[in-house]
This record gives sequence, structure tokens and C-alpha cells, in this order.
Amino acid sequence: MHFKKLGAVFAVLVSALAIAACGGSDESSSEEAASGPATGEMTIWARDAQKVFMGKLVEAYNKTHEAQAKLSIIPSAQFVQKFGTAAASGTAPDVASIDLVFLPYFASQGALEDISDLANGLTYKDALSPAHRRLAIYEGKTYALPFTAEASVLYYNKDLFRRAGLNPNKPPTSYAEIVEYAKKIRALGNDTYGFAFAGACGGCNVFEFTPHIWASGGDVLSEDGMRATLDSPEVTDALEFYREMFEAGVMPPGVKTDSGSQQAPSFSSDKLGMTPLGAFAVSTFEEAKINFGVAPLPGKDGGTASFAGGDEIAIPIGSKNKAAAREFVEWSTSEEAQAVLAGEGIVPVRTDLVDKLYGSKSPEYKVLGDAMKIGKTPYSVVENAIFNDNNGPWIKMINQAVFTGNIEEAQRTGQSAAQALIDQGT
Amino acid sequence: MTRHMPAAGAAQTATGATPAPPAAARRPPRRRRLTLRGRRQAVGALMAAPAVLLITVFFLVPLGLTFYMSLNQWSLLGAHTWIGLENYTRAFSDQGFRDAFMFTLEYTAVITPILFLIGLGLALLVRRPRRGARFFQSVYFLPVVIGFAASSFLWLYLAQPSVGPLFDIFKALGLADENTNWFANKGSALLVVVASITWKIVGMQMLLLLAGLQSIPVEVEEAARIDGAGRWQTFRYITLPLLRPTLALVLVFSVAGSLLAFDQFFIMTNGGPNNTTITAVYEIYRVSFVQFQLGYGAALSVLLMVVLAAVSAVQLMLLRNTDHN
Repeated sequence: MHFKKLGAVFAVLVSALAIAACGGSDESSSEEAASGPATGEMTIWARDAQKVFMGKLVEAYNKTHEAQAKLSIIPSAQFVQKFGTAAASGTAPDVASIDLVFLPYFASQGALEDISDLANGLTYKDALSPAHRRLAIYEGKTYALPFTAEASVLYYNKDLFRRAGLNPNKPPTSYAEIVEYAKKIRALGNDTYGFAFAGACGGCNVFEFTPHIWASGGDVLSEDGMRATLDSPEVTDALEFYREMFEAGVMPPGVKTDSGSQQAPSFSSDKLGMTPLGAFAVSTFEEAKINFGVAPLPGKDGGTASFAGGDEIAIPIGSKNKAAAREFVEWSTSEEAQAVLAGEGIVPVRTDLVDKLYGSKSPEYKVLGDAMKIGKTPYSVVENAIFNDNNGPWIKMINQAVFTGNIEEAQRTGQSAAQALIDQGT
Repeated sequence: MTRHMPAAGAAQTATGATPAPPAAARRPPRRRRLTLRGRRQAVGALMAAPAVLLITVFFLVPLGLTFYMSLNQWSLLGAHTWIGLENYTRAFSDQGFRDAFMFTLEYTAVITPILFLIGLGLALLVRRPRRGARFFQSVYFLPVVIGFAASSFLWLYLAQPSVGPLFDIFKALGLADENTNWFANKGSALLVVVASITWKIVGMQMLLLLAGLQSIPVEVEEAARIDGAGRWQTFRYITLPLLRPTLALVLVFSVAGSLLAFDQFFIMTNGGPNNTTITAVYEIYRVSFVQFQLGYGAALSVLLMVVLAAVSAVQLMLLRNTDHN
């Protein structure tokens, strides 16, 4: 008896809640609202590394708009898991800033709203970073807008260049030159090293090592992302290039196990000649008062390339205030918003604005801005498993090739493991 | 984070729940006296209810869900499809999981005796109420209250090439040079992890063994000594057999904890060098949250659970059987 009564009360409560929830979502997601200014509240998810500039951006938006955004910061390492859980349980945010390499996966799983109409309606749509635009498209539809950019370049220490008898205004432009310069800098002293990379970090090396391959005319995946090309000759050349430097002893011993945390600190210690990193490191080195220069990452015999990193901004399925979300997403690519980002040292995603907002600040920023324009990104729904996984086939191949020297075998196993992941994931 | 002791809470709640008798089966409701008994049973069931509820919500339901997921192709995002036992057949031919499983066994085989012997040694040291015994009990136990992640980061720093204090000490002693990198070699990387884990949890084992030692009546050992037994003989033929129930408990905890090792390798070695230090749970994490294949990850979890249950059962049986002889 008691239980029956309780059950009835419970049932009434549940249905009341359900009705309330339906009513709520009906009101706020009405598409007509898109014509006028959006209203109400929306939640935005970003990662902890974006905290400072996202805070300023949301502040700027809230000042000039009727709709109000609320920012939630999610730890970087848990973002994908948290987002997945939230999407599955219907508690996804209204707007999410997502690392662009994940876009094909998120889109392929139906987690994002199709915003093709919004993307195609932008007057400046062709000026947005081409790599970002490519990653946001899945099966012909657009699921996100480019948001922030990041580019990989070669940082070099001008003081060490001078001491080693090198011209600090002439950074290396080929593999051979990097090797030669690294050896000269290593010769300066016991604890001075020529070159460093993060030998146990998959994500670092897709960002910093693939540009060498691209600049030499090679690639790591086929255009459609269905075939791995880790066994191509351009990859061999790039691996041999790193191997040569490791064997010559120009790299510090820590590179073997560096999962990405030591690269910037070693360069900040003023005892490292060259290291590949992104725009995010500029402020660190400026603070450490390092006299550094920035150069494009070269190919084997010249040419340059860069990894296009950064974020895209998307509306997850289940967003409760789509009108406001659409307004925010569109606004975040505007000159006003991109200027806020550039002010915080973030590379803009607008090729028509990058020189004005960002490249004009210093020669280093100019190089980074130019690198953004030519940036590339591998397209694959299993990008994370192949490249970013610190135990994945990509970093395993590099680690084995550079530190043991068995390049042929490393490439063979890397290629077959990467291809297996692609075949499984699609 | 304290993955070495997860069985403790579960075991306690489980024993808490067992007194609930099958009430319906023995209730002949004719006589008044038995009604009283029935009432007492109802009260008993009521008192056990919170524990049953907790187990259901936090153990049985997730367990059922895990098993259901393991029968599906279940991506982190998006829809899932039923594939029956395909995940399980895949697991048996998965070289990555097999390697991870073998490494887990290797790690367990290395660390279990080390923890046990040092734990027992420390327990014997601080057993008698000598001066300072309490102080040293606390000192040995202190690292236990630190989180696994925190202690792993601490040791990662201590053993870091070029910057870690431990590295500096070894360098000063001439046991390392500037090119030494302990994490670049499987053997030395494992050694650093084993050292950190020993430091971290040997105090717990000491405490459990100490409780076991103190439950042995002093008279028994005295009697043995009066009969002319030496120190070693007393230990071998009196202390050790009487300690058996505690030994079983400690070994089951220790082995279960080691088979579930994750944080220490995730943080300190990153699974390297060359993926040689990836444990079973680490592999499950990678499958689920790096490759986004939750269904397959669930299947691997179920397999690991079966192995864990089997190992614990065998251990308990071995130790219990000899106890009855």
C-alpha cells in the first residue's frame, strides 16, 4: 500500500519534471529567435589551458550582447571523456571549444549540430584557416567554425648562435643545416645542447615533426585519411635526420622519456640551441628573458611547413539555447573577438586579419602568423589513437627509430599498427 | 586513487550484507513466537538494507552495465550496436592486451614478495612496546596517507635525469652519469616504480601484519621458549602458522592491488620505454578513453575481473585449507 502510494507520487513528480523540461527547451530553442538578437543564458565549455583568454572573450561578449554566456573550464586531459559522458546523458553545454584534431571523430559520432548554413553564410568564410575548415567537414556537412589557431615553428637561441659563430639572423633552412648548427652549439660546453624534442610525446611530435615531412613533399596519411603512409621515404628522411642528431650527442639525455614537460623549460634555461614548439611558448621565453628567434620548420632540402593546431568552436547536440549558441559561435570568428584573442597571444584563424591583428607585433609573431596560413592537419577519425596517444604507433615509431636506430623496422611496425587502427575505427 | 585497497571496502560491506537471511523461506506464520522471530528477521533485513542498497547502486548495477556494454560496439560518443561476444574473441588475439597482462603479472610477481617481506620485517621491528616503537610505526605508516598520484609525481621528480635529488645522490656516488636516464630502460624504470610503491604502501602491510602479530597470545610464544625453542624456531613454528589468516588477507590485498596497478605507471613511465610498462588497467584506459572504444574496454575489464576473482579465490583456498589441517 505504502509503496503504491509512493510510486504514484513519484510517477507524478517525474512526469511533471519531464513536462517542465520539455517546456523549457521548447521555449529557448525556437528557431525564430535566430532572426532577432538571442536572449537567455548559455554554457560554454573550454579547457584549462584556455582559461585566461576564454574568460576575456566571454566578458567581451557579455558586455555587448543580450544573451549571456557562462564559462566552464574542464581539465584538458579529461575534456573528451567529460564531453562524451555529458553528450550521452543529455547534459552537453550549448557551446564547446574543441581541439581541431578531434573534430572528425566528434562529427562522425553525431555529437555536433550541423551548422553548414551558418558557415557558408559568412562573408569571410574563405579567409578562415583552410586546415580548420577541412577538419570541420564530415561527409559534406560543416560541424564547427575555426576558433583559435596555433602553429609550429623552430625556436632558436640567438645568443648561443652568436657564441657558436653562427649568424643569429640566419636560421637553418634544411635538415643538414640544423644538424650542423646543433653540433656547433653542442661544442660550446658540457651542459649546452644543440637540439631537443619530446621523445615520448605523441601529440608534441605530430605538431613538431610532421611539418618536416610535409615540407619535404611527403605525408603521414592519405588525403582522405583512409591510408597511413608512415612507411614513405619522406618519413624515413625525417627519422634519419633526428637519428643523426641523437647519435651525434647533441640532444640532452632527457629527450628519450620527455612526455612534453621538459622541452620549454630546457630552452628557458638558456642552454639549448634549437627546439620546435608553438606560439604558446613565446610568452614563456619572453618572461625568461631568452634572446630567441623563430623560424619556419624546414624540409629536407628547403621548403617550409607547419602544423595547424588550435580549436574549433561547435554547438553540441542537445544544446538548450541554440539561438544564443549560434550567435556566440559566429561572433567568435569576428574581427572584434579575434582581436581579443590576439591580444592574449593567440594566433587568429582569419588569414585576412592575421597580419593586422597579430603579425604586426614583432618579427616572431609575423613568422607564426605566416606559418598559420600554410598550416596542415592530418584528417582522421582515429587521429587521437594514432598520433596523440603517448603509447600509440606514431610516437612508438619515432622513439624506436631515433633512439635505437632501427628505422626500417620502426617504420614497418608503425605503418601496420596505424593502418590497423584506421581499419578498425571506420 | 587508492587502488591498492579497493577490495577492503567491498569486502566489509559484503560481510555486512550477508546476515540478511532469506526471510520468506523460513516463515511459518502460525505461532506467535515465530512471528516474533519473523519480526526480528524483518528488522535485520531493514538494518542490512542500506548496505544492500549501496552495493546494488555502486557495485551490482555498474557491474551489470559493464557486462552489457562489453557485448556491444560502444563508442564514447554516439550510438552503439549489439555484437555479442565479438569483443571477447578479439581480446584473446589482441597482442597489446596480452603484453599488458603479462607485464602486470611480472610486476605483481616482483612487488608482492618485496612488500610482504619488508612489511613483515617492519612489523617485527615495531612489534614490542619498546621506546620509540610508536614513533616508528607512525613514520613507516605516513606515506600511506598520501594519494597515489601525488606520490607518483613526487618520485617522478626525485628520479628525473639531471634535476632529481635521487639522481644527484647516485651521481655523487658514481652510480650514475649525466647520460643516465632511469626511465629510458624498462628494468630501471620498473625499479623506480617498485621503490616508490614500496615506500608508499609498505606501511599499510606493516600495520595489518602488526595487528595479526599482536593477536597472538604472548603465553604461546613463552611456552615455546620454555620448551627450548630458539628465536627462529619460535617464529617458524609458532608465529607464522598463527599469523596465517592475516597473511591471507595481506596477500590478497597486495596481489589484487598490484594486478590493478595504473596510476604509478601512467604518471611515472607513461607506459614507456617503448610501451614496455603498460599494465592491464592502463591498456583498458587506453582502449576506452584514447581509442574511444568503451565496449571493448568493458570486455577487457570483465576479463580482468574474472582473473582477479580467480587469483583471490585460489589464494584464499590455499591458505584456508592448510589452516584446517
